[in-house]
Amino acid sequence: MKPGNAQPRGADAPGTLTRRAFIRTGAGAAAAISAFGATGCEEKLAKIPGYRPPLRESGAAGALPSLDGSPHPSPPVPSGALPDILTHTVNRLSYGLRPGEYARLLQPGRSPGEAAQAYINAQLAPEGVDDAALEAEVRRLEVLAEPLAELFEYKEAYLLRQMTKATLLRAVYSRHQLKEVMVQFWSDHFNIDSSKGECRWLKAADEREVIRPHALGQFPTMLRASALSPAMLWYLDGRVNRTASPAERPNENYARELLELHTLGVHGGYTQQDVMEVARCLSGWTVRDRYQLRKGVVEFHADQHDDGAKTVLGKPIPAGLGKADLDRVLEIVALHPSTAQHLARKLCRRFIADGPPAEAVDAVAKQYLASRGDIRATLRALFDCPAFADPQFRAGRFRRPFEFIVAALRATDADCRPGEEIAAYLTSMGHAPYQYPTPEGYTLSPGPWMATLMWRWNFAIALSANKIEGTRIDLDRLRTQAGGDTGLMAEALGRTPTSDERDAFAQSGNGLALLLASPAFQYC
Amino acid sequence: MSTESIQTLVTGNGDARRTLVVVFLRGAADGLSLVPPVADDDYHRARPSMRISAQAALPLDGFFGLHPLMRALLPLYKEGLMAIVHAAGSEDTTRSHFEAQDFMEHGGLAAGGWLGRFLRYGGSPSAISALGAITLGPKLPESLRGAPAATAIQSLDQYSLGTDAEQLTQQLRRLYALQRGEIAAAGRETLNALGRLQALRSSTYTPANGAQYGEDTFSQRLRMLARLIKARVGLEAASIDLDGWDSHFTQATLLEPLMQQLAGGLGAFCRDLGPGGIATTSVVVMTEFGRRVAENSSFGTDHGRGSVMFLLGGGVRGGRIVGKWPGLASSSLEGPGDLAVAHNYRDVLAPVLRRHGAAGEHLRVIFPDYELREMDV
Repeated sequence: MKPGNAQPRGADAPGTLTRRAFIRTGAGAAAAISAFGATGCEEKLAKIPGYRPPLRESGAAGALPSLDGSPHPSPPVPSGALPDILTHTVNRLSYGLRPGEYARLLQPGRSPGEAAQAYINAQLAPEGVDDAALEAEVRRLEVLAEPLAELFEYKEAYLLRQMTKATLLRAVYSRHQLKEVMVQFWSDHFNIDSSKGECRWLKAADEREVIRPHALGQFPTMLRASALSPAMLWYLDGRVNRTASPAERPNENYARELLELHTLGVHGGYTQQDVMEVARCLSGWTVRDRYQLRKGVVEFHADQHDDGAKTVLGKPIPAGLGKADLDRVLEIVALHPSTAQHLARKLCRRFIADGPPAEAVDAVAKQYLASRGDIRATLRALFDCPAFADPQFRAGRFRRPFEFIVAALRATDADCRPGEEIAAYLTSMGHAPYQYPTPEGYTLSPGPWMATLMWRWNFAIALSANKIEGTRIDLDRLRTQAGGDTGLMAEALGRTPTSDERDAFAQSGNGLALLLASPAFQYC
Repeated sequence: MSTESIQTLVTGNGDARRTLVVVFLRGAADGLSLVPPVADDDYHRARPSMRISAQAALPLDGFFGLHPLMRALLPLYKEGLMAIVHAAGSEDTTRSHFEAQDFMEHGGLAAGGWLGRFLRYGGSPSAISALGAITLGPKLPESLRGAPAATAIQSLDQYSLGTDAEQLTQQLRRLYALQRGEIAAAGRETLNALGRLQALRSSTYTPANGAQYGEDTFSQRLRMLARLIKARVGLEAASIDLDGWDSHFTQATLLEPLMQQLAGGLGAFCRDLGPGGIATTSVVVMTEFGRRVAENSSFGTDHGRGSVMFLLGGGVRGGRIVGKWPGLASSSLEGPGDLAVAHNYRDVLAPVLRRHGAAGEHLRVIFPDYELREMDV
């Protein structure tokens, strides 16, 4: 849709419109409302079947009152050569600063440091932050709430599309930003490629029942949920790990990744013998396939379990424990010091720098153990590390393609119902959710993502020209609210733009596209 | 990562980078029509109305012939640039198009597609390119799932910042030039690649060596692919489908135009690339399964098992029909009367992937849970 083409045309003949046209109408109408502040017409629009109000992270749009048309004062925007602690904190804990968010967080009388602390506190306690608008939107993707067995009734491509939409919607609009960041972190940590076998259907349940509920919860609980997740039993072959006869050797696939990736880490001090012993402990767990009754249900078959005595990481597990072997193994590994180091290092790489200081990793690992795997307490320790606030790491984290797309949508306050087009950009950049083939998940390293600039630039151009289906931005409103181009740039970059950047913005012929495509916006 | 590796990463090193082209014949192509075993009496008995006689077929090795409508491939075979593997396929016995394609493209019960895994782990993983993998068509195939970069392209315009982006490009060049390290190199190389693509789009293209592409979609896609390969933008893999091989009914009318497109398109493509280009490009032609040996009552054939694969260019030891022929005697047939699968498609692909940089340890990831018996192709 072209800018300026924003009348709600559907109002004339709603009965003849396709669903897509309704959505477009909604987006167009939404833009009209935003641009003119014409709240009166919202009631009228709400009566159009299919109309949906524009999605905004409630309270975050930062609309400044323009009461009488007089020029309003410029809002506070990030300033300085480097992002200040508030901008830095928001950019690291979230998918990117929104327009007006800086001014809103920096309430009068608060220092940036105090505002940053308040932001951390709120993000670590999402149950106190209302997210109803987003949740209502996600509920429209009804298939994602289907009970496990019902998921099999859907075409896998449809299911994947809906999952991708939900993931993007949440990342863009959820006010529980840290939770969404951690959902992605754990979804990578416990990676499952939805294209393997019945993961096509079961990954939706894994995301909903394993990853999301525990993303800010207790790591040992999440680990257990993952170990017994039907999708994980498919993905890492746990379902065929059985020893019904002495001739049958256990399948070690899950056991190895449990130690190498999910807990201790590759140098975490386990041996091949430990892998084999863990595989024995976990033998007999399986999942009913889609041709069986009670499809997708996880079961323990005692006759396929090796019930002899085992030793895991030097700890004896006596014979005859049966299915309780699993809990013994997870107890041994979940709170192992190597696990603490492994997780702490990954978290520090995500939130501090690709090569984080050892003191930070140690402090986070220590708190992980002290809190017995409490993820919030662990994160709190991380945010309290001097390294987290260290200016040398600010604006130094290269955004992964998914983060770039979402940051751009947030920075432009886009009204976005993500569809196939955005998913195709993610695929072109090799970062489509739930489609990483091997168990280590999408990398935290910046290097492999560097080759994605062309698609980022293309996306920036398409977004700024309102050429992405289902997505709309209002540049005039953005510019006005930010108090002009420099304010707009400062909010997107989290700092005062350099004179080169200002000049390039002015001379590019498409300042917004240049801003989003610029080197600085690729980092946070 | 060093600056040097970033350079290969974004542009593709035109000297070293090889391109793998996968042509998938969707719908289960009848290998017995494409490459008929004209010296096998059982063949003529099983196909009384649609057989290709020994006289009509283009001679290959005396036992097999090439369908006369595929004449455009004959020079490639004779020059040693094309090898044929007959009785090839997968172990999937469902005879369901969807299941068999899915199985073949994933490489068994595996996460991601075989081509996607090859690109991520076996190709040149330190040199991922934004344009590393494409499919010419509307939708990415399952084989490319999990690739580090894969784009469905229908037009070269997709590889552009738009028609009026000159100033923007100039300002991007300026800002990226002010950076240091990886990001500066990545920006520079992306701009250079875009420049080459721009030059490509704005020039009229004359295929080299007198190559003449047909007007059909398949041939035109190959033409675009040849341009991209020549522009050296870092293309490592391309996938193209040719649909419509499901010939239950009046097979000849369905297959004849397809065979002409397949052979004509590939013939023009190889000629266009020339000896230098084809040496660094491999083409693999595959299909999900073959067709019943005996023809049915409506001059068609039903779903079978073994079919044929073609390998072109890229150092293939061509001019040969590789592997063993299981024969068409009723005792050799599989299931309801199908040519047996004597050669697993993975064993055909593996040596090709080796020539594109995959080592043994990569092949174990690309084709998991399968013990390779690589063919000598």
